[in-house]
Amino acid sequence: MANATNTTDHYKIRDLLLVGLIGAVLYYIGVNYNIPDLDLIAWILAIIIPISMYKRGLDVEKLKYSFSLSFLSIVSYLYVFMVLLLRLPGIPKAISILLTPIVVVSFVYSVDTYLKKRKTARQEIKLPFSKKVKATLYSLDTLVIAFLVIGTVMLVVFLLAPVLIMLWNAFITPPGTPFYENFKTIFTTRKYIRLITFGESPWSFQYIGDEKVLVITGVNYGVLLNSLINSVIVTTVATILGIIVAFVLARYRFPGKTFLRILALVPLFVTPFINSYVIKILFSASGPISIITKNLFGFAVQIDSLAGVTIAQIMAFYPIVYLNAYASFLNIDPSMEEQAENLGAKGFKLFSTVTLPLALPGIAAGSIIVFIFSLEDLGAPIVFQERRLMSYLIYSGFTSETGVISPELAALGFVMLFLAVVSFLSIKNYVGMRSYAMISRGGRWKPRERKLGIKGLLVVYLILLPLIIWTAMPQIGVVLLAFNMMSPTGFYIHPEQATPTYFLELFQNPNIFIYIKNTITYALVAVFIATTLSIIIGYAVSRVKIRFITSALDALSTIPIAIPGLVIALGYYFFFATLFKGTPLDPTSGPTVFQAWIVLIIAYSIRKLPFVVRSVFAGFQQVHVALEEAALNLGATRRKVVFGIVLPLILAYIISGAIIGFIYISTEVSTSITIGSLRSDQAPMTYYMKNIYIGGQLAGIQYVAAMGVLLILFQLLAILIVILGLKQSYAFIGA
Amino acid sequence: MTRIKLENVTKVFGNTIAVDNVSLEINEGEFFTIIGPSGCGKTTTLRIIAGFELPEQGKIYFDDQDVTYLKPYHRNTAMVFQNYALWPHMTVYDNIAYGLRLRKVPEEEIKKRVKWALELVDLEGVEKRYPLQLSGGQQQRVALARALVVEPNVLLLDEPLSNLDAKLRVEMREEIKSLQKRLKITTVYVTHDQLEALSMSDRIAVMNKGKVLQIDTPTNLYFKPNSLFVASFLGRSNVLEGRVTGTLDNSMVRVYVDQLDKELIIYTHGGIETGKVHVVIRPESFELVEDLVDRDNIIEGIIEDSMFLGDKIEARVISGPAKLTIYLPNKTIVRQGQKVMLHIPPDRMVALPA
Ligand SMILES: Nc1ncnc2c1ncn2[C@@H]1O[C@H](COP(=O)(O)OP(=O)(O)OP(=O)(O)O)[C@@H](O)[C@H]1O
Ligand SMILES: [Mg+2]
Repeated sequence: MANATNTTDHYKIRDLLLVGLIGAVLYYIGVNYNIPDLDLIAWILAIIIPISMYKRGLDVEKLKYSFSLSFLSIVSYLYVFMVLLLRLPGIPKAISILLTPIVVVSFVYSVDTYLKKRKTARQEIKLPFSKKVKATLYSLDTLVIAFLVIGTVMLVVFLLAPVLIMLWNAFITPPGTPFYENFKTIFTTRKYIRLITFGESPWSFQYIGDEKVLVITGVNYGVLLNSLINSVIVTTVATILGIIVAFVLARYRFPGKTFLRILALVPLFVTPFINSYVIKILFSASGPISIITKNLFGFAVQIDSLAGVTIAQIMAFYPIVYLNAYASFLNIDPSMEEQAENLGAKGFKLFSTVTLPLALPGIAAGSIIVFIFSLEDLGAPIVFQERRLMSYLIYSGFTSETGVISPELAALGFVMLFLAVVSFLSIKNYVGMRSYAMISRGGRWKPRERKLGIKGLLVVYLILLPLIIWTAMPQIGVVLLAFNMMSPTGFYIHPEQATPTYFLELFQNPNIFIYIKNTITYALVAVFIATTLSIIIGYAVSRVKIRFITSALDALSTIPIAIPGLVIALGYYFFFATLFKGTPLDPTSGPTVFQAWIVLIIAYSIRKLPFVVRSVFAGFQQVHVALEEAALNLGATRRKVVFGIVLPLILAYIISGAIIGFIYISTEVSTSITIGSLRSDQAPMTYYMKNIYIGGQLAGIQYVAAMGVLLILFQLLAILIVILGLKQSYAFIGA
Repeated sequence: MTRIKLENVTKVFGNTIAVDNVSLEINEGEFFTIIGPSGCGKTTTLRIIAGFELPEQGKIYFDDQDVTYLKPYHRNTAMVFQNYALWPHMTVYDNIAYGLRLRKVPEEEIKKRVKWALELVDLEGVEKRYPLQLSGGQQQRVALARALVVEPNVLLLDEPLSNLDAKLRVEMREEIKSLQKRLKITTVYVTHDQLEALSMSDRIAVMNKGKVLQIDTPTNLYFKPNSLFVASFLGRSNVLEGRVTGTLDNSMVRVYVDQLDKELIIYTHGGIETGKVHVVIRPESFELVEDLVDRDNIIEGIIEDSMFLGDKIEARVISGPAKLTIYLPNKTIVRQGQKVMLHIPPDRMVALPA
């Protein structure tokens, strides 16, 4: 292997892109002039030349240490991987050839450093295995062993096993077909990948009554591609929006800033389904935009179908990026920017060369969460009745007449899981390394803030303010709907008809209240389980170092954040249908026998575990080990140390973890409406909220909105308790 | 009171050997200090004695009991941590009473003992306060009281003074020393401050890179280091080169010192009869003599310059090609260019094999 630390770097990363560009152009010429050989040549070029460049000395460390280039290399990995997996032709493929040299080089570099590491690892002092075991056993005692065993067993049984059993089911194929038949279907049939679209237009003019309406629908590229394209667009737009809003709010001072900052958080109030429904109204032929376009151009605008899902998700998820970006901008040591300014960087140059790269890790952490949320989201697809998405397709398996889920859906679930986990892990890897570099600088500082000029003020008040108000509209609309101040069928506001009836009936009508009761009961029990598990795992992970086991436990307890809820639902379905066949835990045992509540509670506590874990872990990190050792030293056993010293010390963290967990659990959608649909009388609130449409007909919108308001109240209360009562920072998604 | 013995103790972390084949014995009631540069394994040694780390090799004995595998909570040691490790959610009283409660001491008795401990460390009337309401020095005293109140067999102190300011440090140094004398607890003290080590200890172990280089009394360690490392780690020294020309007895040799062009009689740790040596002379070892009495170990030189340091005078003396740093009593009057004669007692310097 080449010497990577070569002092004379003949080539720069720029040269890699140049090679890629030549390859991409060659490929494109080949396609257009029917010279298939050029395809092969392009690939060889894009793979061989970079390797030889690497061997002769390439500035490859940049790929690892530069904030933006390492980001590019991660994204390239994902992109090339997906294009090859889906065998996309044309421009997407040309771009993948362009990026291939970077992927190749960073891959070779990783292998190279890995081999070198192995070499130095071999020089480590080797201890006899028995000594290691002895040392490990000495550091353990019954309590810690119990913690390790319980934590491992719970995660293996209720997280790993369901996913594996789902995967197993994905390989159940009709007789006479290969074992990978289900995956072959997903990657080859036009239902999933539909590259030839017959020139379908993403929009068209239609007449609804005598009204001319521009209907924007998007184009159907097949279930798999639709989901991917949607998630990529949502992530990209949400990221750009989030960065802009965060930058302005973090760095400039202007009247009304606090108001905007709070307003920008409003979309984070989770109100499943009903907020998407309001968005649908906002972008309907009666919505505010249509009112404007009708006056200006004489036609209304309606965004629907795939495009509707995209726009609804952007509005719901962009604050996640905003929050992460905001925190990242505030965390940048001002001296770094001052130094750059001192050297003559200004304005956009300063932003793009210093500020953005430094904030990129934090932003990426938010973006990847948006990607996963978008991939697994059911709220928007159900409201827009968009069945041509992976999430909807999987969901519909649970609501089919037979109540039996096909192995093909298991395979689809696995594809979804794979996409989510691979992207999550690569970004996490990227973020983990960088944020460490930032933290290690230490120190607190006063964030840089400056006054806005007249032009800036105009931009803020004419663009930013309306934008932020617009993204807060869904939640506002939910409140209006709940109190009957807005028509459930269109954008017609009538405050004079305000009434609390719907809200009150939530508690008076036993047929509705049962769902609220279910949610609260399940959430309380699940939070209890999740908190206990977090304490057990958190203590074991932060205090015991056993090769593989502790790191695996650590990873397993945070990975559910990357696992789509639908995958958990599928996994639990197959897990209980296989291992508990014929018992009341078997989901196929019918809507009177199946005990959905047990499955739901377990699913909740595992799925939302990371949110509790994060808070509890932070607590454990605050407790210096010496505080425990001092007690051990004075004669306290481990049990006394944990329950007498550690837990009282981190009580605030535990309670806020539990409260945050309660919020995430009570607003959970994916497993609630899937597992819940198999036993509707045991289903939670979100299941009821999904029933905006019953048999395609609108029904009970105001009740659903009232439930949305109830959930907003829960969340508001939680935030107040956590921030004011416990003086903890409210741990939002991502970051 | 307990005697501590470490026998060939080795502790490995990944690919660093934190403690490398260390053997030492600490006597009953002794004030034993471990000193050495950062990362040399002092804390690890202490933690092995406390039972927080299990050594990969070797054994630890308290008196004649093998405690190598005994859990920390069964060893009856009491450790004072560098950051004190006071529990912030408990009052001073509860902090100190914690160990007693674990020992099921009746509450009446606890009250008395806590009072006794607080008096011991000269800190009465803060029982109801929380640790964060106390100053650094007060916290340090509470930590000490918490350790002493359980009447431990062994007191372990890991740089307990390093977080205090200079003045307080000197005060606490004396206090800890006198406490230890009164209570006669076997004490292991870790520091990297040589003044602390030299002034408090009965014996000192100097460590470097996991190894114990020398164990001796402060005076011996200072004037008769067994290696250049020990010499340079504790205080300043003049290092000259020479070669052995003869032996007087087991611990004294004749050395011809090249740079002084002179033969001196010098202490050795034994084992050198011929060959090249390094001669280590502390600046304090030189005595100004008036006239040339017929004595050994007299050298002549010229004062190059001198500095008044308050408690002493530091002077630079040129003798042949050698440049020596010497300390003289502060009453001495020396001039630049003055000719001086200096006597070096043989047991105030050491010859080390080169
Ligand atoms: N828990 C641990 N894991 C890995 N390495 C460790 C651990 N504890 C100590 N070491 C390493 O062992 C060596 C000795 O550490 P130790 O803390 O005993 O040094 P020390 O002499 O107390 O230093 P200092 O004066 O800085 O406190 C160091 O190289 C340190 O990095
Ligand atoms: Mg130390």
